[in-house]
Amino acid sequence: MSAKIHPSVGLAARVIVGAVLVYAGAAKAAGPAEEFAIVIGSYDLLPRDMVLTAATFLPWVEILIGWALIFGLKLRAAAISAGAMFAAFLLALASVQLKGIQLPNCGCFGDAIHFTPLQAFLFDACMSALCWLSWKSAPSPLSLDSWVEGGYTGTTHGKR
Amino acid sequence: MDRLPRLALSVLIVLAACAGSFLFARGHVKPFSSNAPDYRELGPADARVTIVEFSDFECPACRVAEPPMRALLKLYDGRVRFVFKHFPLERMHRWARGGAIAAECAGRQGKFWEYHHELYDHQHEWSSEKSEELWLSYAKKIKLNEAEWQSCRLDPQVNAAIDADVRDGENAWVGSTPTFFINGKRFVGALQLSERGTPWVEKELKK
Repeated sequence: MSAKIHPSVGLAARVIVGAVLVYAGAAKAAGPAEEFAIVIGSYDLLPRDMVLTAATFLPWVEILIGWALIFGLKLRAAAISAGAMFAAFLLALASVQLKGIQLPNCGCFGDAIHFTPLQAFLFDACMSALCWLSWKSAPSPLSLDSWVEGGYTGTTHGKR
Repeated sequence: MDRLPRLALSVLIVLAACAGSFLFARGHVKPFSSNAPDYRELGPADARVTIVEFSDFECPACRVAEPPMRALLKLYDGRVRFVFKHFPLERMHRWARGGAIAAECAGRQGKFWEYHHELYDHQHEWSSEKSEELWLSYAKKIKLNEAEWQSCRLDPQVNAAIDADVRDGENAWVGSTPTFFINGKRFVGALQLSERGTPWVEKELKK
């Protein structure tokens, strides 16, 4: 039997994760993709000709998922996508540690905030946990999902 | 309202928020000047391709980018204009501004490039407590007027010229060095310059 998450906890979790993703995406999208490409390239995970493409689109994927979480649109899908992103970031960080690569910075927030690999690892782990809370608490109050389905009922979407 | 219109409106709200983020983020990029004193430029002023480099003499990545940059300039000799801009990363590189001042003062005696090469070729030596004595030895090696060079290094206008370059770099959102702009297109680091810079120069020359 699974534990029930209080709706306000789920609401807080999804807004926090969403705000972090929007901020992280905007901080990177604001700067040149070529700068972010240097950081992605230093992880040595993607083929070199894909690095600039990833650097161009990844910030916008973060922004889209972030706003979807904040507004609560397609909440389960958004929470799973965000969780998958943070899990991928965790794997990328673990991979550079195993390879002994010295990162100039984690690239999490572009030029705005620089984390050490350990700080980035802990941060991504916390975000992953919040993604799980967001997913678990769906449907969530004050969400577009609830409005689309005709109102928040607490356990399941109302039907018109 | 039915479910479908509500869903469509919800998607629009999220997309509008994304578009707002785009406009907010892009609003911060400012234009920058690609001009520099004549002694920091190479090639014809009316060349069809202008390469602007923002560089830091103490930055190892800038030293690594030197050979591909010199090769590129040799390859397109006479067809490309090259502009050097100072961008000392002083938070990381303690002697970077001093190196920039020393090179700038060599430039005022018409020997910027000789000094530039000395600084990059011996970067690991002067990036230390021995910087002052080594900078002087390079000045002597390339036969600068020592008294003029020394007094130039105290001239506030030299610092102001470097600050102006740094402001240009900040306006261009230069976050790391070396950053190259080839006819306005950005290339960060030696790898991007080597892999994508040369084809881009070719493309621009064919226009």
